[in-house]
Amino acid sequence: MRNRKTLAIAAVTATALLGLSACGDDSEASPDAGPDKADIRVWLNGADTPQAARDWLKTTFEKDHPGSTLTIEEQQWEGLVERLTTALSSESETPDVVEVGNTQAPTFTEAGAFSDLSDQLGDLGGDDLLPGFVDGATVDGATYAVPYYAGSKYVFYRKDLLEAAGLEVPTTMAEFVDAAVALKKANPEPANFSGFWLPGQDWRNGVAFLWDAGGDLATEDGGAWTGSLSSPESIAGLETVQTLFQDASGAAKDGNEADPWTPYCNNEIGMMSAPGWVKGQIEDPEAGCPDMIEKTGVFALPGSDGSPAPVLLGGSDIAVSAKSPNQALAQDAVALMLSDDYQTILAENGLTPAKTSLATLLGDDEYAAATIAAASNAKLTPAASGWAKVEGARVLEDLFVDLAKGGDPAELAQAADEQMDAQLG
Amino acid sequence: MATSTLTPPSVDDAAPDGSRPARPRRTRSPLPFGLLLPAVLALGLALGYPLVRQVVLSLQEFGLAQQFGRPAEWVGLQNYRELVGDPYLWKVVLRSVLFCLVNAAVTMAVGVGLALLMQRMSKPVRLLVQSGLLLAWAMPVLAALTVWQWLFDSQYGVVNWLLTKAGGDYAGHSWLLEPLSFFLVASVIVVWMSVPFVAFTAYAALTQVPAELVEAAAMDGASPRQRLRHVVLPTVSPVLLVVGLLQVIWDLRVFTQIYVLQKAGGTTRDTNLLGTYIYRLGIGSGDFGTAAAVAVFMLALTVVLTAPYVRLMLRQEES
Repeated sequence: MRNRKTLAIAAVTATALLGLSACGDDSEASPDAGPDKADIRVWLNGADTPQAARDWLKTTFEKDHPGSTLTIEEQQWEGLVERLTTALSSESETPDVVEVGNTQAPTFTEAGAFSDLSDQLGDLGGDDLLPGFVDGATVDGATYAVPYYAGSKYVFYRKDLLEAAGLEVPTTMAEFVDAAVALKKANPEPANFSGFWLPGQDWRNGVAFLWDAGGDLATEDGGAWTGSLSSPESIAGLETVQTLFQDASGAAKDGNEADPWTPYCNNEIGMMSAPGWVKGQIEDPEAGCPDMIEKTGVFALPGSDGSPAPVLLGGSDIAVSAKSPNQALAQDAVALMLSDDYQTILAENGLTPAKTSLATLLGDDEYAAATIAAASNAKLTPAASGWAKVEGARVLEDLFVDLAKGGDPAELAQAADEQMDAQLG
Repeated sequence: MATSTLTPPSVDDAAPDGSRPARPRRTRSPLPFGLLLPAVLALGLALGYPLVRQVVLSLQEFGLAQQFGRPAEWVGLQNYRELVGDPYLWKVVLRSVLFCLVNAAVTMAVGVGLALLMQRMSKPVRLLVQSGLLLAWAMPVLAALTVWQWLFDSQYGVVNWLLTKAGGDYAGHSWLLEPLSFFLVASVIVVWMSVPFVAFTAYAALTQVPAELVEAAAMDGASPRQRLRHVVLPTVSPVLLVVGLLQVIWDLRVFTQIYVLQKAGGTTRDTNLLGTYIYRLGIGSGDFGTAAAVAVFMLALTVVLTAPYVRLMLRQEES
């Protein structure tokens, strides 16, 4: 008896589940522009986009399109590739507009996840749009994503602590590493104090040291990409990173780089490399510590030759999901996000606008100078179509955590290269 | 993977005396089969479709582009061949099996221990313990994991703080950095989450043990340990078998706990279990074909690991 009853219950449950999933599928998308009225879902990542910009986008869109609504759903940067992979491939679940990291965009554009924006490109800004970003999202002459903002990381430092340790603002890479180590030595308390804050998983900051030493993550030869972490130059860079991990950083050896303002406001950091919008978080009375801002200075990470080091060109693209049933409305939302009004709000919050003509909006203070200097020599991750797979498998996170643990750079780099070759090939 | 729904605990189905009167053969009515049909159909759809899809996927080269509509290429057993030749898979398999067996054993021991203890408790204390267990069981996984993560946080975690206060050198100690320590934390969380189910089920079974049987054994001079081993445990063993089986299945396919901890720290490659490995392959790196092949492999492993249990259970039902 009991057997049969359980079966029956299982059957009922299964039927109910089937019924539920069937409900989700009735929004048969028309291949054309889609309905006049809809709820447009926009995925923005992390705390990067300031609240003022979000409010402006929502109100303006809803005013321009009576009857339609716009909902911003905030996603974590962490694990974004996985979420986009699942969400974008489902017609019923896909957001209409997504923000995607500029280094992640090529993988999705080549897979056909985004709608072709080539026709709108002129209206959205055309040649005025940040060129590196447009190139990265262009496949066979068609552009599938447009820049949202750019912003390379620069160094935030504590003026008072540097002064107390008798240090000058470093002007070369060697000076920078020495200063980071000296700063840690000068502040034995708290034990987790960082002369330079570098959590173990933070390869996005660490890669600057590799590039500065002349190394690279991967190189292309006749269309095929292979890992080049184990080249002598790359290994020299990784050794610098290891020095910083062991003698300068008090951050968790396996931590990630999220929320740097928490330890910064907690007096645990002398120097840290962070995106410009982190200033807004430090100034935020709830998340940060507004008092600290007057003790804070910034500079672009110096390279070995004294000019700015090649840091990772950070930033985002926006794209319309190819499976979205609301193509026309989604394109309108993208147009609003690239409008001068919206981009001005971004610029006022320390993000480099998507249009080169608006760059002057950044202002001319110390922060703007550091933003411009950091971007002047910034580099992108390899333009290989399989690059997001490397990020998805967390090859570089693992490599840097192992470095922080004290592993041998040459051996670790060799192993990481082999893994990357498999992902890129 | 839903073997769990198919093997309900059937403790009392066996005829009490084992003998059955011979029934006169009659023409069978088709009604029972008709009644079974909807259930079988629903199960076939709900389980069969994903299973078939998975096997098909494992025979294809299926990447991100195929996910968005490009046709997939048949590669036969290529995905399997590559996997079997990859020493990393075997490392993950060994790790998963060990993790599963250790966790299932610890969960069963703690759970049954608690159930036995509950029998001896006064009512208010028992209610308190039961409410505690119920809360632990009812807590949403991610909420619980966030709290656990904070407890073990290397910079601001209360565990490090307490250990440092107690005289240890645990300031900034990362619990997730070394794989062994990572799995220790993971095990604590997994066991904590599954003990309530075992404890409640075992306790319910224990209340069904006839008191006069235990009493008779006591009068015959059996010590408490002997009564437990020879009277109580054999009586509840069918239930324990089923619960143990479920634990093995659950702990083999553990995912959320490992996934969240990997984000918090540790080295992903050194801490992948089958569940997270499949996820990293498929959704992380967009290689759905290989991921499906690992999943099929995992299914086979589950069957192999649980086969002795199922056989034992079937034998008990027959006797």
